[in-house]
Amino acid sequence: MFQPQPTPYSPFSPYGLTAPMPDFPGFQPAGVVDNGGPTQFRDPIFSPVASNSINAGAPLTFNHNSNSHVAQRFKMDSNDIDAQEALARDFQPALEGPLVGEKRSSLAITEEYAKADPIYVTKTSALPQKYSHYRPILGDGNCGWRAAGFSYFETLIRLRNKAQLGEEIARMKSLDNLLKTAGGFAEWVFEDMAEEVTILLRELADLIPQSIPQAEQVLRDRFNDKAVSDSIVYYFRLLASSWMKANPASYEGFIQNGAGIVKYSQEWLEPPNQEIDHLGMTLLIDALLKPMGWAVEIVYLDRSDGSQANSHIFQQEDANGVPTNPAGPMIHLLYRPSHYDILYKDHGPPITIPQNMNIQVQRVNSLSHRHNIQNTPAMMGGDMSGMGDMSMFSCIPGFSLQPQPPSHHGFPSQYQQPLDQAFTPSSMSASMSASMSPTSPGASSATAPSNALPATFPAQPPPPSSLTPPTLTTPHPTFPPPTTQLPILTHLPAPHRPSLSSHTSLSGHPLSSELSSPSSASSFRPSKYEWEAAAEWEGPVVFQTSTFKNSHYNVAHYNNPNFQPEEWTPESEDPPTSGRKRSS
Amino acid sequence: MSNYDMEDTQNSAPGALPPAQASKLAPRRGVDAQSTTKRLQTELMQLMTSSAPGISAFPSAADNLLRWAATIEGPDDTPYQGLTFKLSFEFPSNYPYAAPTVLFKTPIYHPNVDFSGRICLDILKDKWTAAYNIQTVLLSLQSLLGEPNNASPLNGEAAELWDKDPEEFKRKVLGRHRDVDDE
Repeated sequence: MFQPQPTPYSPFSPYGLTAPMPDFPGFQPAGVVDNGGPTQFRDPIFSPVASNSINAGAPLTFNHNSNSHVAQRFKMDSNDIDAQEALARDFQPALEGPLVGEKRSSLAITEEYAKADPIYVTKTSALPQKYSHYRPILGDGNCGWRAAGFSYFETLIRLRNKAQLGEEIARMKSLDNLLKTAGGFAEWVFEDMAEEVTILLRELADLIPQSIPQAEQVLRDRFNDKAVSDSIVYYFRLLASSWMKANPASYEGFIQNGAGIVKYSQEWLEPPNQEIDHLGMTLLIDALLKPMGWAVEIVYLDRSDGSQANSHIFQQEDANGVPTNPAGPMIHLLYRPSHYDILYKDHGPPITIPQNMNIQVQRVNSLSHRHNIQNTPAMMGGDMSGMGDMSMFSCIPGFSLQPQPPSHHGFPSQYQQPLDQAFTPSSMSASMSASMSPTSPGASSATAPSNALPATFPAQPPPPSSLTPPTLTTPHPTFPPPTTQLPILTHLPAPHRPSLSSHTSLSGHPLSSELSSPSSASSFRPSKYEWEAAAEWEGPVVFQTSTFKNSHYNVAHYNNPNFQPEEWTPESEDPPTSGRKRSS
Repeated sequence: MSNYDMEDTQNSAPGALPPAQASKLAPRRGVDAQSTTKRLQTELMQLMTSSAPGISAFPSAADNLLRWAATIEGPDDTPYQGLTFKLSFEFPSNYPYAAPTVLFKTPIYHPNVDFSGRICLDILKDKWTAAYNIQTVLLSLQSLLGEPNNASPLNGEAAELWDKDPEEFKRKVLGRHRDVDDE
């Protein structure tokens, strides 16, 4: 059981800065109960006292003789550390309380980690901005199964579609066959469990037309009735196992140590209280949720580097990796090492949920395309430096070459990093054609560099590749006919709009205003997704000159895992004005 | 007390034991016991209609399905050939989501059974699944007699003798075995 370790001797302090809720004009997350900022944190269960008392055993050893032990306090000997570790190991806080807890503000998570490792502090501070609420699940070894199972029923309630519940009852009935034939489970083994699932579905179907709160209450009651809850959870275990046995080719490769499907099922899926592992979660999502057209986002809160918790989205995709139901309902789960809880995005219009997911998933898709075109950067880099003239920058108002003459060397390589390289030719030619010669845009790239608008291609090309579905569906989105880009490029922010509706409605304004003035440094900032993607997929960049290293075009810091970019996020409308920008 | 007896139709025996009463009366456990009882009744039916050879099991008391007595016969071509072993099963209230507690009542000399009759078998511990049942447990125990897991013995001497001195092992098995009365 994982638990952050508050340092026993750390002074009691209010968590003043842990969770700055955005309070920007124009972006007011609707329906957020605990929007009042960190000091208005209301959940008594997660009061600082409570989080301190987690380690009630350890602090006592330090406090019994205050002054003479001051020195000892600051050098914990190995015994203390051992004791701490033992305490952490044996500590099982979540085993008290309901199997499925009440929904509460996710600021509670921030609070919980306020004294933990800095990475946790950073990540948990960012969490409430995306996910307003969470629901704790008891860590009894079934939390992952229970969290996903609960979310399945809860989402059915949320959709308020009685007919769909009827379909689900039918689907569950038909899945009995899968358990028998593929799973190899005797009917008497699972009939009671399947019955609990069906009974609950039927109860919800009856309640939904009358009262949603009542349906929610019934769901909570059933999931907190251990007999019912465990039956349903175990049914999902058997379902996952049967699904795997029915599709062995898809999963065999993910089983460690070559244990084989049957052994894996017996050791990891079927034992009650065996924590769900990644493959188990994948199976459950594939068997239970994907067929509904639902997506599941798992937010991984761990000590990996980064300013935000990583997340991964599981959803039905077609052969090209494009989500088949991008606007479908989405379930969010919070994963902390060996534990799952449920997250909710209750603020904002519900449509933003699938939209955000869209962006991320398609970024991944665009990455997969990059394999094919990775050799282009060198070529382009050569091209650009081969031009050997900086006049191409001169067309940018306010752009001065004098302070950093060598920057044109680094310039191409700098953008090779974040950009899908293949976009450079097309966007460049397109931008040139927009600016000077619309008739033969492709050929002009080498001959007329002076009129290109380099300022546009860092910010401009990524959206088509990573954000808009149309380019993704084409096998080679990398070399679209320049003419098709023309109308788009003449209005810089335009391409965001069609595909990103709600996302852009937030982003459009700061972006467009900044993009329209090429001197603005922020026009050189693609979204963080491109930077992250580039950092993952490209090697380190070599910068030729120290001048360039110091210039604001140097993006090497994006490769530094500790770097926290000042980036635009949908949650903050504050344009990321920075010192670096002004210093240029 | 007598009122409860009247209401409790499942406890048909008059003057049923207080512990069984208590577990039925507690509302929380009552729910658990219901599905557990149903499951155990199903298993009893199966054992009666299609029992595997060499094993048998039956509730040890008419009014309490959570305690069973079972027997297995020693497999042929093993040191246990011709011997019969009695076992006790105790089912938790959340069975089958937790393993039953199984003990050898007949004294047995075996690498994976200690002198109190406690058994070291993974499917009775962390490898238990709800897809197992009384019959699969008994069959597993039967095969454990012929194929002990000497890597993790409860009886180290037995584990050693199994490999080194089968004759001596057999002698110890026969020396330890004695029939126990039904409880």
